[in-house]
Amino acid sequence: MIMRRRSFLLLLCTLFFVVNLHAQTPQATPPPPAQPRSVAFPKPVEEILPNGLRVIVVERRESPLISAQLLIKNGGEVDPAELAGLADMTASLLTKGTQTRDATKIAQEIESLGGSLDSGARWDSSYANVSVMSSKIPQAMEILADVVRRPTFKSEEVERLRQQNLDSITLAMGEPGSIARFVAARVVFGDDPYGHPISGTAESMTRITAADITKMHSRYYRPDNAILVIGGDIGGKDAVALATRYFGDWAKPSTELATPGTGRRVTIVDTAPPTGGRVVVIDKPDAGQAAVLLARRGINRKDPDYFKGIVSNSVLSGYSGRLNQEIRIKRGLSYGAASQLDTRRDVGPFVASAQTKNESGAQVADLLLGEISRLSSSPPADVELTPRKAVLIGNFSRNLETAGGLVGQVGSLALYGMGLDEINRYINNVQAITTSDVQKFAGTRLDAKTANIIIVGNAKAFLPELQKKYPNVEVISIGDLDLNTALLKKKQG
Amino acid sequence: MARISTRLILSASLLVIVQIAGLAQTRMPQLKFTDRTLPNGLRVLSAPDHASPTVAIQVWYHVGSKDDPDKRSGFAHLFEHIMFKSTKNMKSEMMDRLTEDVGGYNNAFTADDVTVYHEVVPSNYLETLIWAEADRLSGLNVDDANFKSERDVVKEEFRQSVLAPPYGRFFYMIQEKSFVEHPYKRPGIGSIEDLDAASLKDVQDFHSTFYRPDNATLVVVGDFDPKQLDAWVDKYFAPIPRPDRPLPRVQVKEPPRKGESRVTGYGSNDLPAVGLTYLTPRQADPDSNALRVADAILSAGESSRLYNALVYTQQLAAEVEANDEVREDISLFYIIAILSEGKKPEDAEKSLLAEIKKLQDTPVSAAELDKAKNQIVTDQLRQRETSNGKAQALGEAAVLLGDPNRVNTDLDKLQAVTAADVQRVMKKYFTDANRMVLYYLPQASKPKEGQ
Repeated sequence: MIMRRRSFLLLLCTLFFVVNLHAQTPQATPPPPAQPRSVAFPKPVEEILPNGLRVIVVERRESPLISAQLLIKNGGEVDPAELAGLADMTASLLTKGTQTRDATKIAQEIESLGGSLDSGARWDSSYANVSVMSSKIPQAMEILADVVRRPTFKSEEVERLRQQNLDSITLAMGEPGSIARFVAARVVFGDDPYGHPISGTAESMTRITAADITKMHSRYYRPDNAILVIGGDIGGKDAVALATRYFGDWAKPSTELATPGTGRRVTIVDTAPPTGGRVVVIDKPDAGQAAVLLARRGINRKDPDYFKGIVSNSVLSGYSGRLNQEIRIKRGLSYGAASQLDTRRDVGPFVASAQTKNESGAQVADLLLGEISRLSSSPPADVELTPRKAVLIGNFSRNLETAGGLVGQVGSLALYGMGLDEINRYINNVQAITTSDVQKFAGTRLDAKTANIIIVGNAKAFLPELQKKYPNVEVISIGDLDLNTALLKKKQG
Repeated sequence: MARISTRLILSASLLVIVQIAGLAQTRMPQLKFTDRTLPNGLRVLSAPDHASPTVAIQVWYHVGSKDDPDKRSGFAHLFEHIMFKSTKNMKSEMMDRLTEDVGGYNNAFTADDVTVYHEVVPSNYLETLIWAEADRLSGLNVDDANFKSERDVVKEEFRQSVLAPPYGRFFYMIQEKSFVEHPYKRPGIGSIEDLDAASLKDVQDFHSTFYRPDNATLVVVGDFDPKQLDAWVDKYFAPIPRPDRPLPRVQVKEPPRKGESRVTGYGSNDLPAVGLTYLTPRQADPDSNALRVADAILSAGESSRLYNALVYTQQLAAEVEANDEVREDISLFYIIAILSEGKKPEDAEKSLLAEIKKLQDTPVSAAELDKAKNQIVTDQLRQRETSNGKAQALGEAAVLLGDPNRVNTDLDKLQAVTAADVQRVMKKYFTDANRMVLYYLPQASKPKEGQ
């Protein structure tokens, strides 16, 4: 068994940061850095096929591997209220049978190439990915096109997946951390589109029919609502030729495309005062640890404050971020504390979290809240800010070292309608953020006073202390928890 | 008509060519490296790679959880955490200042046989990190407050990995119950009691016993100049003396199993789980290659035998997994299934055993064998996409397999594994007498006392 020192993996590197350490004797202090080398990221090229499919290629020749990702510009956010998990079920079933291949044959063929194929839905998108040695890419692309374009959604496969999803929900509901994330989404988004569990609830799983799935597929899976990103050991011309061969005759329906974000979605005006301030405890007496979350609305991906947001989050999060400094490094209260500013097409959540022994649940909630407030009352001076920017830039750069990482980054920019050249502007954009930018962002967009607190654990151990500070705390027993509604509680009787 | 048959013949022969080409291309690019040992015993493996302006540095210490002192289970791992506190010339968390703060990262892991510290930094920081790694090999300087607070972190890690997840205790028991004599029977995360018993003196003793140049391997992969690297290694590592004390090594041998053993555990899980374990030979044994292929056939991907049988066709299990968990002294092949709602552990066990029997009775087809090899090779390609991944592969070959050249040669040996090899190792190791069966059931199903 292998243990990591960190509870979260910190990715990647950079180039322009100098630590102020001057050598006096060679042994007692670290030798200073040499001149940094500059870095160049690959430049994506793109072409829109006549059927509307946007094809993007990023060449990176270091390893004989290729990743390809077909993105549909809608995901869990278009699930109908009663059918949570529909988009994810639809995407997951792509690889479970087409007009010419059954599920077994699909797995057999792709794995014989040494490749992997997976599909699913996220917020704002659905995806099918293949990753394969570059010598096998034509066969892999043919399979990718087949599963996206010609899935059959046979009822036996729907039933099989339904049971698997029900089992996964049972597993997730046994873990304090995953329960807390489900609850946080309901608390922050209520009954709005990002509020439900993306993989559905035990109740919604029983309601979804094969007809619902077929309807979702025909409505959203069309070339003019899709992006194909191919990255790795392949040139632009070859990749576009492959895309044309397997996706060029994918007919665009004559019906008009619903613009992403219409339907049930309500666009949240993110300057409006959020409905915050709930304190929710889910009592799970057998929990081996308490999961503590602080959650509120954050920003959307196109927000002009995006870079201020991710730099602010980097001050809080990461191994040496303020949350982990206070909670893990100074006090030994957790294996790791972190935060995420999850930016989406509409306003996504900001979540800060840590797991701790049940007895420390209230103390950790206080510490999380305190650090969010301190971001505006005591913003990071350059000596603190510069390293936290370096972390962001390093993570970003290292992520682009693999074919899969490259495709993921570029796909995300394309999905949200951002310029693909942002890859090459990222470092400058991060560097431009100042102390007062962070202070202003934290004070206006991450206000701790309107944040919600969610704790899942053995309530007996931390509730009395929590109630002293928050008399309005809502306590829900794990048996009464209902994730289908913003009320979070099953109706009595 | 004639044209059609010509095309058919043509495409058939093309297919053959493509397949041959395909097979040829599954070979891994060779990893070229330099191997050097300093007079004080430190081994240095290095491989330049200028794909990006970063460099990966790893230090492998040949000490792991199996070397935990008596009544101090979890100590090697706790010690790994302490290595990020004050050293001879660095204050606490200075390693983070030298890595994370300049856009790099650091981490470490403790396994049963090794403890590995690794960093990736912008390449202009290589000398700084060589200095820092040499410094923490030279000596620690930790105070009691830092020690205790880090021990609390490890206790939270124990809770987070063993107590909070519904199957944490199940995986803990798999290791604990699979070995009877060898210290591998103590899971590396330890126990709260043993962690509480650890002291600052244990830290100093452990460092002076195991953290010495002749028990360490430095691996550097990435954007560097080999001559410069050699000079820095000579400057910072060469002065560290090699102690004249012998290095203690675990001598305990795990006895062969003499018959099936069965254990039942209870936890906070809602769905029962079943685990089967078999003792398999040490990692360096030639049979490990065939076992790795068997592992892929059983459990790699949705076309694997176990997924296909238990999850897809019979719908007995929500998840199934097999792994030849290789170790230096003796390995453990485990197969686990987390059941679907309403299914019986007895049925899952029967089905797992039936899949093992099939592999023993009938040789796998050439296509299935090729598929497994392609999966393993592609996984390796993915691991070696980054400098850190290449360094990991080199370190493992040198320290755990005893020869860094095996980073290249083992993959050739793997390609040579035949269907008969797979059948042979399945018959040799997957016997009734070599089996431990673990049922992990919901607490509510536990028989009440006195009933």
